[in-house]
Amino acid sequence: MSKTFFNAVYIFAAILILSVFAFKVFQPIQVLPRMRLAPAFQFTDQDNQPLTSETLRGQFVLYSFTYTHCPAPCYNMTETIKEIQSRLGEVDLGGIPVSFVTISIDPDRDTPEVLKVYGESIGADFTQWKFATTSNKGLLKTIVGAGFETYYEDKGGGNITFDPGYVLVDGWGVVRSEYRYSTEVSDADRILRHLGVLAEEVRNSTGSSKLAYEAAHLFLCYAP
Amino acid sequence: MRIKFFLSVSVIILGLAAGIYFFRPHTFHGTVIQSPERSFDFTLTSAQGDVSPSDFRGKIVLLYFGYTFCPDVCPGTLGNVAQALRDLGAKADEVQLIMVSLDPERDTPEKLAEYMDHFHPSFIGVTGSKEQLDEVASLYGVYYQKTEGSSATGYLIDHTATLLVLDREGYLKLVFPFGVTAKEIADDLKYMLRQ
Repeated sequence: MSKTFFNAVYIFAAILILSVFAFKVFQPIQVLPRMRLAPAFQFTDQDNQPLTSETLRGQFVLYSFTYTHCPAPCYNMTETIKEIQSRLGEVDLGGIPVSFVTISIDPDRDTPEVLKVYGESIGADFTQWKFATTSNKGLLKTIVGAGFETYYEDKGGGNITFDPGYVLVDGWGVVRSEYRYSTEVSDADRILRHLGVLAEEVRNSTGSSKLAYEAAHLFLCYAP
Repeated sequence: MRIKFFLSVSVIILGLAAGIYFFRPHTFHGTVIQSPERSFDFTLTSAQGDVSPSDFRGKIVLLYFGYTFCPDVCPGTLGNVAQALRDLGAKADEVQLIMVSLDPERDTPEKLAEYMDHFHPSFIGVTGSKEQLDEVASLYGVYYQKTEGSSATGYLIDHTATLLVLDREGYLKLVFPFGVTAKEIADDLKYMLRQ
């Protein structure tokens, strides 16, 4: 083998290694990890209509958890959700619908009627924002506690302690992000950015682009 | 000198192209899940006794949720998995399919065993109480609901028809949508078995 041949091999090998390194460092494509399957459920919404995980397929869904008797100062997810809802136009969603589902962790008191009054009192737009409850307390614990990995516990006397947060689920029913701690960037800004990242991945989920996006998952190019 | 250089470059480009083609990363047909935690373990009843996915650590476990009265969706998927296992040859011993019945009223462990045996001798069918099945199905993202059928079929059960793949360590690795073919299942399993 000539010296020229080996020089060329070294150059190409260096280019290849640099390309992989650049992909990892500069992360030209960002994705959200596919963390786990979201739990399946059948709840009742504020209008006494069934709300199931199956009917939400094909949409991006932001789940939140609360109870209407939560004493002040209760974690205020209302303003965050309303801000996201009002700013959805800033994100290119490619026509993929977004829903907000707030699951009550107090099924004894939060009947659909109570949830409806609560939703109206905070000015919720029920076409996009559903409030969910169920009479099956055991299964609720499975769904919220084990499925959405959101801790809550009935302390008695009408008090429930819980870890507030949001869980973002994609159209395939896969958990893609969780928001449990405050960061310098507001929850609304992060969630809106993540909705854009998800929509971008859906748009590029076929052909050669799919390979690049799967590589981004492989190289852990996760959007902050 | 110049001809030599261009010849070298051409050989390398061809070599690289061949290398990229033969060593390209496997493109899964199912959706890849990157869960940092092992998937939910459960214990349900088969005709041979209690069965848990964790009983099969070291093997790839396929989880499917269905029922023996299922008119079309379940037989289609189970038939495709059986065909995929035949394509794997001796390696099929390293794969275990478990079907969780969503019809505890009609599917006894014995009935499940007979049904599963029609597809593949290694297939296992399990059942449990309604409460147990609700929990297991929910945590694997499987929605199900009893619906009205005809007088011939009795009631039917609408259910999520995904096929789930747990790796040898019990982590959920893949989710196949309904309609996945035997060849696609076999391709992904062959890749996972090489890992």
